[in-house]
Amino acid sequence: MSTVESRDVRGSRDAAPVIGTGMDRVDGARKTAGAAGYPSDVQLPGQTHAALVQSTVAAGRIRTLETAAAEASPGVLTVMTHRNAPRLPDGPMTALGASPPAPLRDDRILHHGQHIALVVAETPEQAAAAARLVRVTYDTSDPVLGLDDPRAERMDNPWGMDADRGDPAEAVRTAEAKVSGTWTTPDNTNNPLGLFATVAVWERDALTVHDSTQWPTMGRVTLAKVFDVPESAVRVLAPYVGGAFGAGLRVWPHVILAALAARVLRRPVKLVLTRAQMFTSVGHRPSTVQHLTVASTGTGELVALDHRCTSGVAMEDDDFEPCAATSALAYACPNVITRDVQLRLNIPDPTSMRAPAVGQGNFALESALDELAHSLSTDPLELRLRNYAAEHPGNGLPWSSNALRECYEAGAERFGWSRRDPEPRSMRDGDELVGYGMAGVSYPWYAQPCKARATVNSDGSAFVRSAATDIGTGTYTVMTQVSADTLGIPPGRVRFDLGDSDMPQSPQAGGSGLTGALATAVRDACRGVLGRILDLVRDDSESPLRGCTIGDVTVGGGRMHLRGRPAEGESYADILARHGQVEVTADGASTPADAAELGMAPAGAFGAKFVEVRVDADLGVIRVPRVVSAIDGGQILNEKTARSQIIGGTVGGIGQALFEETVTDAGTGRIANATFGDYLVPVNADVTQMDVLFVGDPDRATPLGTKGVGEIGLVGIAAAVANAVHHATGTRVRSLPVTLDQLL
Amino acid sequence: MAEALSQRRAAGFAPEAPVELHVNGRRHRLHLDARVTLLDALRDSLGLTGTKKGCDQGTCGACTVHADGRRVLSCLTLAAQCEGREVTTIEGLTAPDGGPHPLQESFVRHDAFQCGYCTPGQIMSAAALLEEGRADSDEDVREFMSGNLCRCGAYTNIVAAVRDVAAAGGADASV
Ligand code: FES
Ligand code: FES
Repeated sequence: MSTVESRDVRGSRDAAPVIGTGMDRVDGARKTAGAAGYPSDVQLPGQTHAALVQSTVAAGRIRTLETAAAEASPGVLTVMTHRNAPRLPDGPMTALGASPPAPLRDDRILHHGQHIALVVAETPEQAAAAARLVRVTYDTSDPVLGLDDPRAERMDNPWGMDADRGDPAEAVRTAEAKVSGTWTTPDNTNNPLGLFATVAVWERDALTVHDSTQWPTMGRVTLAKVFDVPESAVRVLAPYVGGAFGAGLRVWPHVILAALAARVLRRPVKLVLTRAQMFTSVGHRPSTVQHLTVASTGTGELVALDHRCTSGVAMEDDDFEPCAATSALAYACPNVITRDVQLRLNIPDPTSMRAPAVGQGNFALESALDELAHSLSTDPLELRLRNYAAEHPGNGLPWSSNALRECYEAGAERFGWSRRDPEPRSMRDGDELVGYGMAGVSYPWYAQPCKARATVNSDGSAFVRSAATDIGTGTYTVMTQVSADTLGIPPGRVRFDLGDSDMPQSPQAGGSGLTGALATAVRDACRGVLGRILDLVRDDSESPLRGCTIGDVTVGGGRMHLRGRPAEGESYADILARHGQVEVTADGASTPADAAELGMAPAGAFGAKFVEVRVDADLGVIRVPRVVSAIDGGQILNEKTARSQIIGGTVGGIGQALFEETVTDAGTGRIANATFGDYLVPVNADVTQMDVLFVGDPDRATPLGTKGVGEIGLVGIAAAVANAVHHATGTRVRSLPVTLDQLL
Repeated sequence: MAEALSQRRAAGFAPEAPVELHVNGRRHRLHLDARVTLLDALRDSLGLTGTKKGCDQGTCGACTVHADGRRVLSCLTLAAQCEGREVTTIEGLTAPDGGPHPLQESFVRHDAFQCGYCTPGQIMSAAALLEEGRADSDEDVREFMSGNLCRCGAYTNIVAAVRDVAAAGGADASV
């Protein structure tokens, strides 16, 4: 048995570990009973209801704004516009860039769907009816909407991540093989199923906000700055969030409007977005145009990679979307240039959507590599293996973990890749053309500082918490497991709580970075409690544990004993009782790994995706009956929830590949398909067999060996589908989504 | 005349009317704005927030409940239309012994949800499917459950959870 001091993820413990097992979700009973309280479920005494009025033009100024009819409408309490609303400062800089601009600043219109008024009434029906009575006219100007519009303001290298290695131009010139092309991806909308909701209430000068957020800590910091109150006077609550996929990473203008209205009215205000408003109010994955050249030797060793990506950003907002930059870190290639460009457009704010940047960039890169393999008559899998990056391509350091080769090999084996006849249109089954396609994924590493607090109570139970969120990722469950294992208390006696900004500060559920940061902080806090309990008995002549340090003991079953001597120990409850303690609490923290200090490049997850498509030979209808995802996610903390993350991401990837496209009317900037009837997402019948394999070893850069798996499930699916469609039909589609009209 | 009324309605002058709803075996006398949907009546007037709103347009299935044992989209049903009908929501779905419905346990075991927002609607649809005897194959479940979107993508696990209960003769144990 290992000791608590060792790097073993499980510490020294008596009972069988719960880390790594597929423990059922601890919030499962609540969710299946309809008893989990989402922000839209909150009902406060005296609560009022708000409805938004949004701009129906994309650029210009408000000329007239008539609110009298709305104000006179039954039940209406206030109509807030830029004319009567107090001017608020913008929120702070965040790890994702600047906050979105404050609402109702002036009469300028920057995009279709911009909030221009908020109507608050006694009932939701009254608010919605009155919102329709607000009359607006505009002095419109010609909106800048397309990535091809020469008027768009251009920002080069917006994140300082452009890569330059070697001499790519010369390497392309002299290469034996090359593929050059333009790939495009459309706007996609996050569209979590839960309508985003905010319920705001002021009590004296203290603000409480129930919100659909992935980041309560940032919500508190932002609202404190905007409303000029101390951070301690703001509380943001999000115990359950109905999905978000990036849409909950920012404090959006509607959140601030709800809080503002609550302050003006001195009553609670509830604002629930409509589905149509979900398309314009909480971000989206921006479209891209990507020019890419890959060049290789005659045997497929990459000699040059040239990736240039242009995406759109709102007129006065930031978005972190370095699509080309991520290609520089995917393969061993001596000559590389990446260029990312953003254009300012009159569009609703783009923001992270599951696997931001990587989701778009990987489509172009992995499609181009498939074309290169085809032109060389090389197996696409073999081409990837030949260009495997044994070291981090950016800094040359060894990876803290990298099982990408094993992903390729195990995935290919499970999928039956060797049965693939390389010739396009060669595999037919009745009326269906069958295609096999694959793609590789190197997901970027991301980490932020995190804190947690752990308590062992006098009854031997534990309470552990952090201001994190569980947006469906399994955080409640996984952190219960980490706490249980570290403390040696059965999971049924451990409560892990989150979703409250009053708890120790946590980074966002995003960037696939939360699990690693939080698990380390939770473990640190739990070990802190163990240390304090040992402090209690340091000079305790009645305790067999007197004078022990954490390295001398083993935990399990709610007690501690001397290593290798199970009889010589005692329960936490006994220790606390004898020392008159109601509880013992300690704080824990984690900081991101430092590559220079480690002498290693901290690694994100790696993956290989294998996809079978079937295309109706006459009708062109495309199906994806089978996907195999082989993932190196380091130490998997819960096999069941991690697998769900991968299959959920895969479904998102199928949506990106085959269905999802937010259509903006070219003349007006209006989104033309802002319903689930028109913006197609995968339904149950679109998804059949999904295999997930976890391979690889615990990562060496984090104490628990974890790597995030929240986003990698999506990445690579679009390219693998497009590559499989080429294999099935002989037609290359370089523009997402892959639709049948492109095949006919 | 009709236009005048619709203008008055647009302006918020909605007639209120008494409505008696039977939900999960209990009677509720309410006074409701005629525009109020069954979904909003359940959530806002009765505090039964287990039933979710994902679109309010009949396109996502999150608001699925049973009316007289058949599944309906409560966002497309006016509360006033439900007088005299037995409405069952996720809060009222139980096994015959009063414990959790086997679907609820099966969903947990198979991790058939992530964020959980679609889950009450998925379970209500699945319970109706079992009743109707339309859960006999994976294909059937996939097809008949395709009106219930899951943006978290838990579909394969949902199918496994429903089939597990169907295989155990689950319809007998449902509502
Ligand atoms: S809320 Fe009723 S179908 Fe979406
Ligand atoms: S579990 Fe999130 S929408 Fe289905």
